[in-house]
Amino acid sequence: MTAAALALDGVSVRFGGLAAVTDVTTTFAAGSLTGLIGPNGAGKTTLLNAISGFTVVLSGRIAMDAIDLTPLSAAERARLGVMRGFQTVRLLERETVFDNVLVGCERLPQPHLLGQLLALPDQRRCRARDLAATETALRDLGLLPIAHRRVDELPFASRRLTEIARLLVVRPTVLLLDEPAAGLDTRDRRALVERIRAYHEAGGLTTIIIEHDIELVRQLCARCVALDMGRIIAIGTPSEVLSGQAVQQAYFGARSGA
Amino acid sequence: MRLVPDIVLRHRPLERATGARRGALFGVIALAAIWLAIPIFFGQYTVFIAAQVMIYAVATLGLDIVYGRAGQLSLAHASFFGLGAYAAALSGPLGIPLWIQPALVLFLAIGGGIIVAVPTLRLSGLRLALVTLLFGELFDWAIDHSLALTGGSQGMTVAPITIGPFNSQGTLDAYLLASALALGATLLTRQLARSQLGRRMLAVRDSELASASLGVPIVHTKITAFILSAVFAGAAGWVYAYVVGFVSPTTFNLFASVYFLVAVILGGAGRIVGVWLGAAYIVLVPELFNLVGYPNLFPVLGGGVLIAIALFLPGGLVEGAELVLAELGRYRR
Repeated sequence: MTAAALALDGVSVRFGGLAAVTDVTTTFAAGSLTGLIGPNGAGKTTLLNAISGFTVVLSGRIAMDAIDLTPLSAAERARLGVMRGFQTVRLLERETVFDNVLVGCERLPQPHLLGQLLALPDQRRCRARDLAATETALRDLGLLPIAHRRVDELPFASRRLTEIARLLVVRPTVLLLDEPAAGLDTRDRRALVERIRAYHEAGGLTTIIIEHDIELVRQLCARCVALDMGRIIAIGTPSEVLSGQAVQQAYFGARSGA
Repeated sequence: MRLVPDIVLRHRPLERATGARRGALFGVIALAAIWLAIPIFFGQYTVFIAAQVMIYAVATLGLDIVYGRAGQLSLAHASFFGLGAYAAALSGPLGIPLWIQPALVLFLAIGGGIIVAVPTLRLSGLRLALVTLLFGELFDWAIDHSLALTGGSQGMTVAPITIGPFNSQGTLDAYLLASALALGATLLTRQLARSQLGRRMLAVRDSELASASLGVPIVHTKITAFILSAVFAGAAGWVYAYVVGFVSPTTFNLFASVYFLVAVILGGAGRIVGVWLGAAYIVLVPELFNLVGYPNLFPVLGGGVLIAIALFLPGGLVEGAELVLAELGRYRR
């Protein structure tokens, strides 16, 4: 699968009188890995919601290669491979880790309803394929030992990794992660970084990561976009962006060196 | 068309533990033995009751699809059961030939399922339950007010299906007919649980937000769940009328809908074994109270049992059985 570029053109989101995201225009190159940073309330999650279709945009256009995503629902965008994680992990609480990841196979082609219910040969193959994909994703994230545990009895780190496995079980075209490392210890964090990098190096994936852990952004991302008050205030390599005056001001409220 | 290349399938997916598989095999053999033993060792009455348990199990499997699996609370389920039953009952006077009837029941159930599903697109939980309740009452009202055709609350008798030596109201024949239906419905449900549709239902039940983020078509899934549930209930009702030979609105009223719900919750939502246990409960226990001469005790006991289950065993009887088995397993080791 070839990677797709994601283009935002004048995207604005408003909640009543509050301008959450204002006139954001930028392009995320095919196969790129971009960090999205900014202080609390900068509009990072709102922007991710706008891209994934969970928030209606007031104006502007979001396109994945030639496909205009703007009029599509969240589910339709997901079917095109725009996959997102949630800051507060959203799992199927009553199901096992395995079943949670299995649901991520939704995007793979499946036989029609009668074929599914009558267990026609295609259904058997598709099920075997889905089970195999799920097992691989679980193994990659070290979740196999707890595959048959219910997610609501697991610690937060395992739940986070379960959600990420669900996102990665079928290779996304655009991957949107909202603070994926939050709540993970150093070891899990390192494993996660390695996994995301490995997925990236295999190609075909355009990723945007919201992350407060600046070190993690430095390690992973070649490019960084900083938001404040709903506007882009800096774009560049992580070092450039972090040393820039606007970012310093947004984070620390004063000019650097002052 | 092949959706999956063969290469993928050489990889062995995560299998269930062999212990669980052996347990399932043992269960199937035990069930087959019971199924054979009932008509051999027991009298007509028991066989007839067993046939009813199987028919109710099919209808309950239907409610479990929409409520247990897809999470949409429906209080109109008995109406779908009634839809099938009255389709059979009215086919006699209306002169509808037998071979058309299954297609007719299917058609009615799909139509009814879609109609009841429409409010789910906007509502959930108790508000949805109230709207489905309305549909249930509407069905009751329609039966009561088409006196000339249905006999209203007096009910109507249904002539049996007779094909050669087969008579759907003969005890053994009824048992076999109900068994065939129950086997088919159980296998379909099992397959549902293993299919994409089954996964979609769990996703919609547990988190619509997560469902949307994965591309699950929520509306489509809910409507499909309602249709399947209506088809199960309709088929069960159709067989019910031909086996029992009599239909009246009380079998299909709000209380019946509630009892189906009790069966699902008591047995264990989303679990085939649980649904069977629940269906056995709602058929056998009232019958037992009838036998000992206190038929009015059932609702009292039923309420108590339901409260106890809700408090102590939220996963239903099947979860209780699993806990006991796990405990025994630990003891043996």
